[in-house]
Order: sequence, then C-alpha cells, then structure tokens
Amino acid sequence: MSNIYNPKMSRRESLKRIGTMATVVMVGGVPVACDTAEPEVNQAPVTPSAGHWPDIKLDAITGPTYGTDPIVSNPTAPWPLTLSEAQRDQVAVLSDIICPADDRGPAATEVGVPDVIDEWVSAPYSGQQRDRVQIINGLQWLDDEAQLRFGSSFVATSVEQRIEIIEDIAYRSQIEIDEFELPASFFSRIRRLVFGAYFSSPEGIQDIGYIGNVPIAGDYPGPTEEAMEHIRQVADTLGLPPITEYVNR
Amino acid sequence: MASFEGFEYEVIIVGSGAGGGMAAHVLTQAGVKVLLLEAGRDYDPVSETPMFQQGHEAPLRGVSTSDKNFGYYDATVDGGWQVPGEPYTEATDSRFMWWRARMLGGRTNHWGRLVPRFTPADFKPYSTDGVGTDWPVDYDEISPWYDQCEELVGVCGDNPGLDDTPSSSDGVLLPPPKPRVMELLLKSACESLGIPAVPMRRAILTEPKDDREACFWATPCGRGCSIGAAFQTTTSVLRWAMNTGNLKIVTDAMVKEVHLDEAGKAAGVTFVNRTNRADVRVDGDHIILAASACETARLLLNSSSETFPDGLANSSGQVGRNLTDSLGAGVSGYIPALRDRPKYNEDGHTGNHLYIPWWDREGQKDGSLNFSRGYHFEVGARFSSPGMGVAGRVDGFGKDAKDEIRSSYGTSIGLSLRGEMLVSDDCYCEIDEETVDQWGIPVLKFHWKWSEQEINQVAHGLEWGKKIIEAMGGTVNNPDRTAEDAIEAGGQIIHEVGTTRMGDDPATSVCNQWGQTWDVENLYLMDGGVFVSNPHKNCTITILTLAMRNASRLAEQLTA
Repeated sequence: MSNIYNPKMSRRESLKRIGTMATVVMVGGVPVACDTAEPEVNQAPVTPSAGHWPDIKLDAITGPTYGTDPIVSNPTAPWPLTLSEAQRDQVAVLSDIICPADDRGPAATEVGVPDVIDEWVSAPYSGQQRDRVQIINGLQWLDDEAQLRFGSSFVATSVEQRIEIIEDIAYRSQIEIDEFELPASFFSRIRRLVFGAYFSSPEGIQDIGYIGNVPIAGDYPGPTEEAMEHIRQVADTLGLPPITEYVNR
Repeated sequence: MASFEGFEYEVIIVGSGAGGGMAAHVLTQAGVKVLLLEAGRDYDPVSETPMFQQGHEAPLRGVSTSDKNFGYYDATVDGGWQVPGEPYTEATDSRFMWWRARMLGGRTNHWGRLVPRFTPADFKPYSTDGVGTDWPVDYDEISPWYDQCEELVGVCGDNPGLDDTPSSSDGVLLPPPKPRVMELLLKSACESLGIPAVPMRRAILTEPKDDREACFWATPCGRGCSIGAAFQTTTSVLRWAMNTGNLKIVTDAMVKEVHLDEAGKAAGVTFVNRTNRADVRVDGDHIILAASACETARLLLNSSSETFPDGLANSSGQVGRNLTDSLGAGVSGYIPALRDRPKYNEDGHTGNHLYIPWWDREGQKDGSLNFSRGYHFEVGARFSSPGMGVAGRVDGFGKDAKDEIRSSYGTSIGLSLRGEMLVSDDCYCEIDEETVDQWGIPVLKFHWKWSEQEINQVAHGLEWGKKIIEAMGGTVNNPDRTAEDAIEAGGQIIHEVGTTRMGDDPATSVCNQWGQTWDVENLYLMDGGVFVSNPHKNCTITILTLAMRNASRLAEQLTA
C-alpha cells in the first residue's frame, strides 16, 4: 500500500488532497461534470467511507442506432465514438494488462480491442450505456487511485505500480471488500469485454481454436479419432457406460 | 374470380410464414390462383442472408440489442419482441412476450427448424389423462400427412421408436448428422440415468433435394439460409408457388379487416399499404388466414359486424382464448473433464444433433409425477464461434486468465427445457380498446398466469437437468434457482398457439378439423391458432402439416 493511500478517505477529501486531479471528464468532446455539481456541504465523512468512487453522471447517448432492418450482409455501426484520447489510452493500457501477448496469441491492443470497447460504450443501447457509466467511472477511479497511491495518472505510473492497483480489484472475491466493491465490479465487466473482443477477433478465433464457419461438402465429418478417443477416456474415467458411435437405424 | 392489379385469383391468403406459405404452395400446384398478402417487406434470402459473416464484422460483435433481439445477424426484419409502431399490451400482473417479424416468409426465416412429430396421445390429451380437450383428428389421420410434409420440407433425423418419438415411414427422413463428442457423453450420462438421448429431427437438408442444396455444415440457421438447406418458405414453397404462375404476392400489406357479404360469406379484406398508408380493399372467393395465431385472432376480433358483434367467426367466444406457449427454462453447467479437449469442427448443422425426448409417461400414469404431460431437453454443447460471453467464468487477469479461457473453451453445456403447458382460462388475448398501432388498428392485450402444473414441471426439469450435468461430471450454474425464477415468460419460446382452436363442436371451437370456420364457410384458418393443445414438441412441423392437409382438401374442392 502506498503511504498516501488512505482507504478510509471519502471521495471529496481525496479530491481536496489530490488538488490537481481533473474533476471534469470529457466525453465525446463534451465536458461532463463529476459530482462537483452537488452542494459542497456535509463534506466530512459521517461514517467510515467505503473507499472512493467518482460517481460521474453521464447524459444518455441518444444518437442513431442501426435500426430493426440493417443491411446485415454489409454491417455498419452508425453511432459516433465517444471515448476521449486519454480514455482510449487508458483502455489500451488496461486491455493489455488483462490480455497480454503470450506464446499463443497477440495482446489485446494488437487486435484492436480498445476500438471495440469504444464502439461498445458509445452505443445508444441500454446495456451498453450501463457499461459506459461503469467503465467511465472505473477508468476515473483508476486515475484517482493512481494519484492517491503514486501521485500520477494510471497511464503514467510504472508497470509494477499499475499491477499493484489491479491486483486489488481483479478478483471477484474483492467485490466483497467494501472499498473495492465498485472498482472490482468494474474490472470484472471490462475483463469480460476485453476478452470477448479479443477472442472474437480473427486472431483470437485462431488462438482459441475455433475451426468452424467453413463449408464442407458431403456428410458432416463428426469428431476426429483423437476427439473420439478422448471422450471414450472421459466416459471411462467418470464411470459412465461406454461411448457408442451413433448408428442410423 | 376476383382481380387485383390485373391478376385474377380465387383465394386470398393472409400471411407467408409456415401456414400461409404451405397453403400457397398446395393451392397453386393444384392450379388454383392465389393472392398472398404479407404485412412485412419483400425479402430475398439469396442476396440478404449474412452467410459466413463473423461476429467481429458486426456492430458490438453481433450481440443482441433492442433493435435485433437475437443478435445482429438474426434473419428477423423489423421485428422481435417489439415491432416498431405496432405495440401490444399486457394485463396487470401478466407477462407475455410476442415475437413477430415483418418480412416475406415471416418467422420461418429464422426459426430453430426443430421438427418433432406429435404422438397419438398428444392429439388425444383428454382421452389420455382426463385433462384438456381432444383434437378433432387423431394421429392415424395425420401421420400420412406428416410423411408427405416431411418429405417436402426435408427433415433429417431417425426413428428411435420411443413413445415420445413417432416414426416416419421408411425413406421419408434424411440421415441425421453424427453427434458431437459432448452429445455422445450426454447420451452416455443419460444411459446411466435410464433416459434416452436421440437424434434431433431438424428441417435441414443433409442431402440435396429438388432444387435445394444440402447443408454445408456452417453458419447459424437463425440467419436464414441462402442455399435453401434450412427450410424457410422464402427458399422453397413460396418460390415454387411463384413458379407456377398462379401466385401473386403483395408485400407491405397489413390486413386490418375481413369483410362479409350479405349472405354471410367472407367477401374480401382490407389491408393498409404500408408504403403509402392507403387502405386497399381486395375481394376473394375464399379467404385463408395464416397471419400467426395471435395476429389471426386479432384480425378476427377486429372484424366485428352486426352479425358478429364479438368478432368474426367468434360465435363460440373462443377467438383469442386457449392461448398457450411452450414452457421454457434453461439449465446450464460446466464439465471440467472436457478441459483442453481435442479441437475439431463442431458446427454441424449448428443446432443440437441429439436431444432428450420426454421419458416418463409411465410416471404420469402411475401418479408419481405432480404434473401432466411432459417436456424435452434441447442441448447446446459445442465449440461455437467465440463471442462476447467467452470470459463469463474467468477470474483475475493476464496470461493465467487467458489460458483459463482457452482451457475451458467447449466445456459449457446448456439444456433448454421445452414443456407442455395446459390450456387455461387465465391465458388469452383480447383487443385492447384503448390502444391502436401506427396503422390505426386496435392492438392485442395479453393475459397470462402460470399454474402449479407448469411450476412443478419446471422444478422436475431443473432437478433432472442437474442430474444429467452431474452425471457428466459437471457442476450446474445457479443450482439453487427455483422453478419460479427459472421459468421463462409466456410467449418467450415463440410457440404461441391455440387462439382459434379447431374442434368437433361449434359451441366450443372456432373452426372444424379442416380449418374451416364454423361461422363463415369460405373462411379458413391455417396457422398455429387452430391447435387444441400445445404438446412440448416444437409446433411448426404440425402447422405445416395441417396447412398442407387442409389446403389440399380446399384445392380438391376448388378444382373438382
């Protein structure tokens, strides 16, 4: 834990101490107020606070949807992207922490995951707009937390410092910890989006080993001999009746 | 002989889905001239179907939205749970979801193509268990028509000979595809529990047929099928009917009223031309309504007159009543023994190759079950194209999480319960006197309430689903979920039928066994509205079969 980090500190106290931290977030070039619009009263925490959370309020996106009869054979997304450059950078850094390059596949940013996230949170559908509120706040929380712990933005911290923060919110069990409830929920959501976007990309499809969506002439070939041998062993291990290949009567 | 835009015809058909499409085919093959009115737009599956497009090419990776409820690539045009400008309402404390499409071919463009036959007992529910009402037809009468319909449609599957799976005649069925390994493991697990798992019948060509190509084992059927391997009326019966020269199709024709002549016969209909909002009156000697169970009921109820103040052909008061859907609930789980299993192409025909038919009629006979009828389980268990839900189970981050997703790919199983609900006075639709759609047509209001029968059946299914998944060495997601929580909304399974039921008695039914309304002799009903009960078997093959049979009789009369 950082020396300056005080998990008991309320959001407003943290704002005062950080001083330089942005209290306005730009969304799609439009400034969106944080909680500064609320009356500056009752600033002292009455009860021990459950950490901090920006609680940025966002106006609903009311832009064009693709409608109920899009040209599905030639897909397009008609809504404008709304993440600021800084937010996209943050998503990029976070995406590669969640989904780094390894021996079996590239990193999230190499397959355009931040673009997918931007399209996602900018979409004028209710589910995506709920995600947008959670993600914009989560990204701001990461910056706030990085300021509190290390005195710089999340993106400007060192790799080790970022991981130190992520380690506190990356596991579902941490949702049970009061101060990390909202940040850990945010992380769970963006992890799902990042991996979903990665594994549904052409590179991700190859990585995971999906080999369908190709036309096959003649009969469906069915399982390979290797797959059959494997499933026979599984049935045997589970004490189930032997696998029998289907014979058409 | 009436005429429209220079085309002379005898019969008007309202609706181009399963019932209307089949009726158009049968009549035009027999030389009868038909004017077919479709509320939705024209639709060409050959040029419009997104074959092979992948999730990453679509907005939001193709996930479901309020515009496209079954995902971006689903074939449904201008529809889903809501049709723009065409609302429906629900009574207080009622929840009902009504899926509609506004396109040529209707819902046949996207349906699941699961086509189990009804059994002899399914046609005689009252005689079998003393509950509900018998159909005015029996299995022996319908069986040859099932054969003929399956032959025409193209059905793959086999005849396992169970009491829930009546056999087709020799040579009717096309061979089913080989099961995938998870389905084989499921079959083995079911065997250990003493229940069957057999090939699912699907309206998929596993061999070439007439002018349609065989399935090439790729791209989900719900998008529609440009090669005609997955049955839909737009690639088969409607096309064949057009080729006879005896059919004229008018799309964007939203029928709002059926007219009577002074003799009390149906004289014609008025439709709204959706492109210019003009009312258009067309006449016909015979009128077939196949607009879907609820749309047909709505049309009859909106066609009231001095003779029929409560709605056309509604002297029985049964129009809109007896509405049922299939029961729906899902049980899903994770099979750790299948981690890192060998990869191969598991697309197959993209539906389940095996399913679990209902296995315990004996349990109903001996009273050991606390519900009537039964259900089946459809199976979802394969390596499918990875989508936005691929990381649903994973925790943490980085390489460990990435590896976990790779290892657990292809370890999920979903069992979808599809059960028979009982006909109930609590479930019906009527005209909402306070709401009209964008064409000025009064809309439907739905009333719905599950009974203990349905809750008990779902509870049984949750218990058995858990047993099956655990027999596979798996763990069930949400094991503590109650039947009340698990049961899906009325209408959500999109098997809504029964609103204009057939029968032997004009006092308790809307039409006779030929779909001919008791009150108006030249008015016929050929969609799922005519069902007397709603066996757990997916309804479309029986809609197609009854339409084939009843349109054949009409064709004989008209050409005699």
